[in-house]
Amino acid sequence: MKFSNIRLLATHFLRNAIKPKTFYLIYVLFLLLTAYSAISGIQNHIAQNEIRKEHQVKARQSWEANPDKHPHRMAHFGTFAFRIGAPLGMFDHGLERFTGSTVFLEAHRQNSVNFSEASFSTGTLRFGALSMALLTQLILPLVLVFIGFSSIASDRRNGTLKILITQGANWFEILVGKSLGLFTVALLFFAPIVLGITMALTVFGNIDTAYGLWPRFSLLVLGHAFFLFVVCTTVILVSATSKTPKSALLRLLGLWLLMVVLLPKTAQAMGNYWYPTPTKLAFQSAIEQEVIQKGDSHNPDDPYYNTLRDSVLAVHNVDDVTELPFNYGGFVMREGERITSTLYKKYYADLLRVYQQQNRISQFVALLNPYMAIKQFSMGLSGTDFSSYVDFQEQADDYRYELAQEMNELQMEYISPKRSGSEGKVHVVDNGHWQEFPDFKHRPMTFDQAFSSITTAAFAIGLWLLFLFGSIWRTAKKASTL
Amino acid sequence: MKYILFLKQCLRSREVHLSLLLILVLGMVGIFIGKRHLDTQQKAIAEVKEYQVQHVDRNVALHNDDLGLLLYYVKFAFINPTSPLAGLSIGQSDVNPSIKRITIKTFEAQKYDTDLINPTNLQSGNLDFAFVLIYLVPLLIIVFTFNLLSEETETGTWRLVAVQTTSKLGFIITKLAIRLFLIIVVVTFLFLISIIALGAPLSTNLALMYAMALLYVIFWFAICFFVICFKRSSGFNALLLLSVWLLMLIVLPAGTNAYLSSKYPVPEALTTAIAQRDGYHTKWDTEKRPTIEKFYAHYPQFEKYGYPTDRFNWLWYYAMQQMGDDDSKKEREALNTKIELRERHSSKIASWLPNMHLQLAFNRLAGTSLQQHLDFLNATEAFHEKLRLFFYPAIFEGQLAESIDWSQFEPEYHATDDKMKPISLVPLILAVLVMVVLAVPKARKL
Repeated sequence: MKFSNIRLLATHFLRNAIKPKTFYLIYVLFLLLTAYSAISGIQNHIAQNEIRKEHQVKARQSWEANPDKHPHRMAHFGTFAFRIGAPLGMFDHGLERFTGSTVFLEAHRQNSVNFSEASFSTGTLRFGALSMALLTQLILPLVLVFIGFSSIASDRRNGTLKILITQGANWFEILVGKSLGLFTVALLFFAPIVLGITMALTVFGNIDTAYGLWPRFSLLVLGHAFFLFVVCTTVILVSATSKTPKSALLRLLGLWLLMVVLLPKTAQAMGNYWYPTPTKLAFQSAIEQEVIQKGDSHNPDDPYYNTLRDSVLAVHNVDDVTELPFNYGGFVMREGERITSTLYKKYYADLLRVYQQQNRISQFVALLNPYMAIKQFSMGLSGTDFSSYVDFQEQADDYRYELAQEMNELQMEYISPKRSGSEGKVHVVDNGHWQEFPDFKHRPMTFDQAFSSITTAAFAIGLWLLFLFGSIWRTAKKASTL
Repeated sequence: MKYILFLKQCLRSREVHLSLLLILVLGMVGIFIGKRHLDTQQKAIAEVKEYQVQHVDRNVALHNDDLGLLLYYVKFAFINPTSPLAGLSIGQSDVNPSIKRITIKTFEAQKYDTDLINPTNLQSGNLDFAFVLIYLVPLLIIVFTFNLLSEETETGTWRLVAVQTTSKLGFIITKLAIRLFLIIVVVTFLFLISIIALGAPLSTNLALMYAMALLYVIFWFAICFFVICFKRSSGFNALLLLSVWLLMLIVLPAGTNAYLSSKYPVPEALTTAIAQRDGYHTKWDTEKRPTIEKFYAHYPQFEKYGYPTDRFNWLWYYAMQQMGDDDSKKEREALNTKIELRERHSSKIASWLPNMHLQLAFNRLAGTSLQQHLDFLNATEAFHEKLRLFFYPAIFEGQLAESIDWSQFEPEYHATDDKMKPISLVPLILAVLVMVVLAVPKARKL
């Protein structure tokens, strides 16, 4: 094996590939699409985050503007958590269009995250939304198929392959050389995207360091480079093993369709079929049932709370809750919040497990499908994947719990034990407490957390690289020039 | 005889076999997935109906003497029934909930609550019949036709044909017609299967769907005809047709969506959410009388219940809840206008692109479009208003819960308007005509 031969074959491939006028047509079109998706991606990212940050401030202002009042009123006044899009969402929207952005946080209730882009869209969103990730992962492979399908198959048909071999090149050199040649073409297409994102991130990507913007981005570029190399090698190998260019093309197109359209959809559909999502009603009423069993703080005759009251009275050696040193209503609500939140968390974890099981089929199929692997890898690193969304929900719910409990504590401490009900201007707490309680701030997942969510996908891409090196060896041994 | 030979010739190739089989299998998978979607919806409706009875009973038993408190808890279901055709085109019915369970409190706070959804499922999209028809059938057509003429030139039979037939164009058209016939058989077969599997009644909407599906098939045949008339090599045709497919089915729609979402963000949704919260909650801090006055300004018929302001009372409480809706009216209207703007723009762009147009039209006919969901939300609001008007006097008069006939509050159904004017066929017909007109000059020179 001679490196000079490989280099020669690679440069030769590159020169031939960029010679025809159609190449420039495709290249310019691709550049335009890149520019368009970069601009719309960046614009959308900035606009959405501005809207959300602005509303976070608005919601906070009206929270702080509350006069002195009963803490339980504040627990219901509540606040909003707005999901802030991760900076690399400019590159890969991931699930962002399908996840809600806003959740109302109040005592006793876990509200749904509302207002996703998808809920305001007509059915056409299902055709996908243009992003630089879509260009790199879905369209560029097809372009590479168009450029590379005939590389070896047409050499075979017009007899140049025989000449090459007799002049001293071996099969291994041919396969590696052409793959590298095609890979160089791929990099020509990929480079503007990398450049665009680098610029955008430098200008707009200021965010706390735990997010690990640049390590994420470097891994993202590296992963996509590996993926493109996998695509290039596949194209060359299929071309080498096909009798005619036409059959190479049809096989590659079939492969693309299978990998990009059919497998991802069927994998998710199977996940959905095997692990059906419960209905919202079933989910809520299961929690409700268990709350009733455990203790319903809204039921005046509830045995759990009656026992609790008796024991509290006994401990403090008094006969009536009004004689307690703290506000008993606040105490009951604190207990109620603890019980319902624990139960909700338990059921929500079950629900997440169902979702994860649904998604696991796709994660498994990604081992067989580099497109799905790179997609999961890319969403994970960009911070637009499922785990990032769940992380937001957890942050919001933790904040909600703290808010509710803080208000219950305030009630226990500052509201007269003789007082029940929360209306009116008597028995209030100073509004300085509202400002003291910190605002919600959505923090992106740390780099370490994100990294652990993409290990399977990274493993799959590595596996594919190994597999293709193996295939090059095998094909080099078995291939014929006829 | 000639036709049977043509048919045999067409069916000889392995690619044709494979792709036909694939489409049939995927079509049936699509129908199966649609059927499952319908079943899930049916199950959810049955659950809600059963639950509502015990839910009401339990709360009536707990809070018989406090109707105001009872209605703080009780939820009433309003259902958007799923048409069997939704099994063909699931559309937006997986994002948007088809069952709303609402209390008589502030409506805005409940309007946009979502179902339990795994966002990954939404992103990957449904593999329903509409998907198979819109994405995959065109590929089948491309595989069937890309080498229809070039194959003859490449194997050297074209000259024989040229000498022996009276009309070369007639020859090509007959070959195309055979393939068109085959695809129509496949599509018709899938439609028949879905009628049986989904229990879809033979309706105008079904007929319209079928007609549109056929037009879409013909449109793709016209594109292929146009391309093969250039008499280029098979490889070139395959590449070109595939690029057209890529452009029409992925690049243009995806670009349109990127355009729409960055052109029309919806900050109004977030503003409304905050406005309705403040509208209600800040009333706890103000005098009771002005709130009640505003309430009576909205509902003068209740003024006879007076102005109880000395302590907590349900009249004041529900007046405050009402203010959540009344005080966020401006923001709410801005939100509605924005969504309508987006929807209108989207449809306008879609009418230029047959595949997007077909998707939207299918959703409309199946009752799974965005517009129909917005209609459902409006109907839910009307349902909410009806409940309010029924319960307000009862609460204000301090009636006992048992004096109300609760059996009348069964879950109610929304009547979806799924009518579509036949004019919606026009963009597809025009698309076919344009392609044919473009192809004619080339075809003459064959």
